[in-house]
Amino acid sequence: MKFAINLAQALILILGAPLVRGIIARCKAFLQRRQGASIWRPYSDLAKLFRKEDLVPSTASGVFRVVPCVLFGTTICVATFVPLVQPSALLGSRGDFFLLVYLLALGRFFLSLAGFDGGSAFGGMGASREALVSSLAEAPFLLSLVAVAVLSSHADIAGIAAWTLGQNIFNISAVHILAFTSLAMVVIAETGRMPVDNPTTHLELTMIHEGMVLEYSGPSLAFIEWASAVKLHAMLALLIALFGPWGMATSASVGAISVALLLYSAKVALLIVLLAVIESGVAKLRMYLVPDFLGVASAVSALAVIFTTLVKR
Amino acid sequence: MGLVEIATGKVLTSFSVFLFLTVLLLVVARRISTCIVLFSAQSAIIAAEVFATGFQERLAEAYVVGALVLVIKVAVIPRAFFGLANRLKTSHDVKASTTPTQSVFIAAAMIYLSYAAVHSYGQSVHVPEDALAAAVALILTGSFLMVSRNKALMQMLGLLVLENGIFLAALTTTFGMPLIIEIGVFFDILIGLLLMGIFTFRIRDTFDHLDVSKLRRLRG
Repeated sequence: MKFAINLAQALILILGAPLVRGIIARCKAFLQRRQGASIWRPYSDLAKLFRKEDLVPSTASGVFRVVPCVLFGTTICVATFVPLVQPSALLGSRGDFFLLVYLLALGRFFLSLAGFDGGSAFGGMGASREALVSSLAEAPFLLSLVAVAVLSSHADIAGIAAWTLGQNIFNISAVHILAFTSLAMVVIAETGRMPVDNPTTHLELTMIHEGMVLEYSGPSLAFIEWASAVKLHAMLALLIALFGPWGMATSASVGAISVALLLYSAKVALLIVLLAVIESGVAKLRMYLVPDFLGVASAVSALAVIFTTLVKR
Repeated sequence: MGLVEIATGKVLTSFSVFLFLTVLLLVVARRISTCIVLFSAQSAIIAAEVFATGFQERLAEAYVVGALVLVIKVAVIPRAFFGLANRLKTSHDVKASTTPTQSVFIAAAMIYLSYAAVHSYGQSVHVPEDALAAAVALILTGSFLMVSRNKALMQMLGLLVLENGIFLAALTTTFGMPLIIEIGVFFDILIGLLLMGIFTFRIRDTFDHLDVSKLRRLRG
């Protein structure tokens, strides 16, 4: 039963990811007083791309073909670490948050390789920017996870979620607030959302993610797009699991699971609205200010780690 | 009834974290208007702590002080600042002499330093350590803002942040000063703000800018 629920929550993370993207786009359209596409649009986009022909630039090497599979594989693997409706995960084990951080880094590394391999100038520019952003985002990402792990004395994400579930909701400590702040900033940078990267553009000199995938088409592009949607959904789920797991099912009864699922949808919806408001209200940062943005995240996460010694004393 | 008591307890123990957040945001903010809004939010948090202390210690005076904080520091001073910034017709930039990353690391170090400073004192006297550390951190950050920002307006704001820290320190150690002294302090701030406002106008009229790093020589 527990295994079945774990499998189901991984599937929800993977299959529901395009829907999350669709809802974000719809929310942004509503805030900008546009009509907006249907929330199911990302699914039809993916279906369309899967039916199309896969074109590879004549200058590209074998790396270019392998990258979509590696990226999709690592992202799927990350999705199986994150608990959704109950505090356990399909592949979760001790120390899995290190693996989570570096699996995401592996996917990004291969995507940057593909950006260089594609042969266009935009790909190289996007890849070098991606390298800058990801190397600066890695420290706050890991440190904020470490802070929460030290606070809860658990080394796996599911264990941290279970520990937080046992705490009083009013008993949030300084560590939680600081780590949440830093991790939220990292999520924005990692998933290429608004103050760092503009996810809606295909033709802008400052694009990061779109620059790297410019040469891809057909099923390869579909896998990359799907992987980035899964990554966004998994990061939101990670934020919820670490900082707001209240409502997760502690027993495997049908009622508890359905309540947990409803609460999870409500929390994701809240984060989506927050993201849409930020993206509609904030201007994109200049590329040279992105290190400052992530520097702030690093300082806050370092402070979170320091605060664990004060709180646990 | 029970809920109100829990809420006041939480305000006293956890709101200092939000004060640390405002401190971190203040040192990275690049626009004067952001700093003013942050100062207003910071004062609102302190007002909440005043009300919570008043409720917990059954002090009627604290409510008056809290209301004064709400009116003067959350509403009047920020409005006056916005008006001043508009009428001075100066740029929005705070003219920081450190980059935001440097500033935030310095602020983080100061927060840690303030914890280290109050640790021994907090154990000998029975006071909430978080709130006292937040007060020390506010004092340090206010001074840091004053020395590292070149816009004359930011010196005023730094002074106000510093004053917030002193007020919070008094609140946490002795449950606030007597009412008459508090009123005197508030009056002092208002007069000080008035004088500094006039002074910034004079700087602007004489030098055509508000950059204090360029005030090197006297002019008639």
